[in-house]
Amino acid sequence: MKCPLETREDKEILVAYGSGALNAGDTKLLEGHLQTCSRCREFASGQRVVWEALDTWEAAPVSADFDQRLFARIEQDISWWQRMRGRLGPLIIHRALPLTAVAALLVAGVLLDWSPRPKALPRATTAQVEGLQPEQVVRALDEMEVLNQFDRLMKPEPNQPKM
Amino acid sequence: MPEWVNTNMGGATAALDYDAELMLRVKDGDGASFGVLLEKHRSSVVHFLYRMVQHQAVAEELAQEVFLRVYRSRGTYEPTAKFTTWLFRIATHLALNALRDGKNERSEERLDERSDEMPARQVEDRRPSVEQSLVREAALDEVRRAVAALPDKQRAAVLMHKYKEMEYTQIAKVLNCSESAVKSLLFRAYETLRARLAHMA
Repeated sequence: MKCPLETREDKEILVAYGSGALNAGDTKLLEGHLQTCSRCREFASGQRVVWEALDTWEAAPVSADFDQRLFARIEQDISWWQRMRGRLGPLIIHRALPLTAVAALLVAGVLLDWSPRPKALPRATTAQVEGLQPEQVVRALDEMEVLNQFDRLMKPEPNQPKM
Repeated sequence: MPEWVNTNMGGATAALDYDAELMLRVKDGDGASFGVLLEKHRSSVVHFLYRMVQHQAVAEELAQEVFLRVYRSRGTYEPTAKFTTWLFRIATHLALNALRDGKNERSEERLDERSDEMPARQVEDRRPSVEQSLVREAALDEVRRAVAALPDKQRAAVLMHKYKEMEYTQIAKVLNCSESAVKSLLFRAYETLRARLAHMA
């Protein structure tokens, strides 16, 4: 077996061996190697010391009122949320809809205002209509009458027999 | 009750751990299942946090926050990972934040005083002499100091590996790093501990 300390990837084998997590096959191989390699032997025994030292460190028992305190906090959390809902509930029912409608109208208005439009055309048309004088109207009607007369001259009489 | 049960999810059979099943029940409004989860993991989380911050009151405060966050997240919970991975990810995150915020200063104070909070292990033994108790307490103090001296991430990795018997893959998921990074963290941590505690042989 190649020395685990020589290769970075195999160092974990020594850690696993020290924690008793190495499988039977690898344990047998490593134990064979430990008989010939003093460095690995030293590492493994040091690891065992660490493991045993950590075993002596027991954590304190959890306080008896841990659950009680936790449930009180959860209750507080829930009641806070219920209070908020209680306060916001009527507001949502009575005011949210009209407010939403107003907001939607405002948004629609803004969007319409932003939409691209041909600028010159409507303004020009409006300006022409607004700027029309009575004399211009009379002149236009006279011109239409002239055109009608011209039209009648050009067309043949409907009851005139054909030759 | 088996730790792993098969659950039919959307036509495909997926292995879902029992804790995740319980959490899904909590999501559906079953408060009793939250009680079962709390009963099952309370000590484990408190002990992990205690060894991280080395102060019992701070550890319990953090553990309360862990379970509160679990409860608050019930509505959005999805069993994408093992429940304990998620649980210890929250716990580790809170512990690392607490250490960063200086709550570990209190733990330093803690190390300098004789502990009333430490479990009275000697009581369980066959009445050791005062001298034996002092020697044991000194050794324990040395272990605690050695662990406290480790960089935060190495400490978290060692505590999960040693006391929670987590596999490298799970530790990697909790610490949000690669499996090889976990192996490296553990190797360096154990090497440091070995150097500091070798004389205890």
